[in-house]
Amino acid sequence: MNFGRAHIALVIVALVGVGFPVASWTRAAASRLADTQSKTPEVATASASDMSYCTGDLKVILKRVLVSCGLVSGGSSRGCQPLQARQVAAMSGGDFNALFEPLAQRAAIIQFDKDNAELDVAAADLLEKTFSDRRGASYFFVVSRASPEGSVEHNRDLSHRRGNVVLDHIKAKFQDPDIDQEVGLLWLGKEFAQLDRQFCQWQRSRTSEPCNTADLNRSAFIAWIDCRL
Amino acid sequence: MVPHNMHDPAESQPRATFPRKSLILLAVFACAGVAFAGVSCFDFIAHLDRQVHAITCSIVPGLGARDASGASGCHAVLMSPYSSVLRDLTWGGIPIALPALGVFVFLLFRAIDLSLRSRVSRNETSFMVAASALPVLTSIAYSVISLTKIGTFCKVCVGVYGSSLGVFVAAIAAHLVTSPAEPAPQGKASRFGLWAFYFLEGVALVIFPVFIYLAFKPPYNESLLHTSGLRHPEDKYGVMLDMRGGGKVPAIEVLDPLCPACKGFSERLAASGLGADLQIKFVLFPLDKECNWMVGESLHAGACAVSEALLCAGDRASHVLEWAFEHQAELRALGGQGQSAIYGRIKQDFPALATCLGTPKVRDRINQGLRWIVANSLPVLTPQLFVRNQKLPDEDTDLGLDFVLARVLAQGAAGGEVRP
Repeated sequence: MNFGRAHIALVIVALVGVGFPVASWTRAAASRLADTQSKTPEVATASASDMSYCTGDLKVILKRVLVSCGLVSGGSSRGCQPLQARQVAAMSGGDFNALFEPLAQRAAIIQFDKDNAELDVAAADLLEKTFSDRRGASYFFVVSRASPEGSVEHNRDLSHRRGNVVLDHIKAKFQDPDIDQEVGLLWLGKEFAQLDRQFCQWQRSRTSEPCNTADLNRSAFIAWIDCRL
Repeated sequence: MVPHNMHDPAESQPRATFPRKSLILLAVFACAGVAFAGVSCFDFIAHLDRQVHAITCSIVPGLGARDASGASGCHAVLMSPYSSVLRDLTWGGIPIALPALGVFVFLLFRAIDLSLRSRVSRNETSFMVAASALPVLTSIAYSVISLTKIGTFCKVCVGVYGSSLGVFVAAIAAHLVTSPAEPAPQGKASRFGLWAFYFLEGVALVIFPVFIYLAFKPPYNESLLHTSGLRHPEDKYGVMLDMRGGGKVPAIEVLDPLCPACKGFSERLAASGLGADLQIKFVLFPLDKECNWMVGESLHAGACAVSEALLCAGDRASHVLEWAFEHQAELRALGGQGQSAIYGRIKQDFPALATCLGTPKVRDRINQGLRWIVANSLPVLTPQLFVRNQKLPDEDTDLGLDFVLARVLAQGAAGGEVRP
């Protein structure tokens, strides 16, 4: 065999050997690129939470409450009074409370002294802890109540003050520009949706004290709602 | 026939010894080098489709699972600014493994060429020693870069380094075995001419695959640069960290401090030199289910705690970020053990942050950052870079960064517009 030819043959083999795979790999990448550019990328988009408990019924009630309480549609009112709450919820007090049962891990009960609307240290701590654990929730509900003693009017006023104390504390502690669009305030007085004993098991600010329904309703029930409307 | 005419005249004289075993050994190591460099080229070229791919990361290519996690040293090296050259001229640049492949093919070709002969001169074996010194020197340089700049080694690269050393040792052995008697060059074939011819052959074998690569690689579609911007770029929650870049071009980077891709992105941006033109503000997007409801499982456990540390650090946030990048693997492992473990590790190095970590206030700031991301409907991934409120395509934050960012910056400069 002519040695010069062998050398040239080797050069050609080397060139083809290195060039062919590179051409093949590069063209394959170009082909895949053409395919992918014609498709929409499948990447999740950041969004607020929408938990499984956010049933259609719950969302309907939630929307009614939020619209009526001025959070949605730019309403000018701030919070819902007891009669409004009953009206927009269009359900019994028991059914209204049942709506919140799936929120056991996301809610807390801020307790007050009798005929008083001031937060004690434990109440403030629990409020801050609960509010800061927002995660992907869109709305924060404050549902304030009063125990059965006293007149209806007095308890409505007391309940209103308790709700506002909670809201003011949140505003002071958390500089959140969206707070007016995310905190729903309902003051229920004593005539609608009183908490029963089962809520004693929920997270409360006065866990060291015995729990009865009167103590339980001298309170503001707070919860983040992980639903998208 | 040029090769025939240019044979060293010493070949015409019989030799007492022929370095066949050394040449076979050289061919074997060159084959190994071809295999390792080929695998490395294949993995790099696969990424020209701008997608994410599993890559080979085994000292024996083909054995062991391919790395799809992006956490291996091979992935770190592949995505580092040192894996290719001329990145600002062509998308991704020219992979350094491509000329390496050409060099090993050339050495293999030379070893076979010499083996097929009946005689070999020291002139030719000395050229082999010189030629095989090139991959050895390159391997030394890249070993130093891996150790000092990237902080990890890739197994395939180690294969290339080993093959380089092997061909060099085999070439020296072949040279030593070859009889030293060497008559003076005569006729057309001088020693210089022979070396120059072989050198040109080597250059051809290195340039040819590069030419093929450039000829067939997909062109960049400029329309991809016309991306949508942020719907709400304003920082109404006060969650952006202003800690890097003295440039004038406003930019926002969405990052996770424990995300390997973010660390790589940061390094590439710094290495490109283009980062100096940017004034970057950071929005933290920890992909850790501890604080981020958008991920079902923590992709980077511990990222929420480290993000808290960044917010707590204030003016020293850049220092904490550098620390987090440096200790990413350790911090992710600690994050997997629970919040107390990761908090403990942070407090160990930054005791001043102890009173801030885990407080409702800092957790709320983390949450507000996530809400900023929701408000802008961003994809759940990191890193993301917005330059003058124009998004750098996600697929161009790794290999294509230099090429695409240079164009984005040039677009803005040409337009003369600087949007906040």
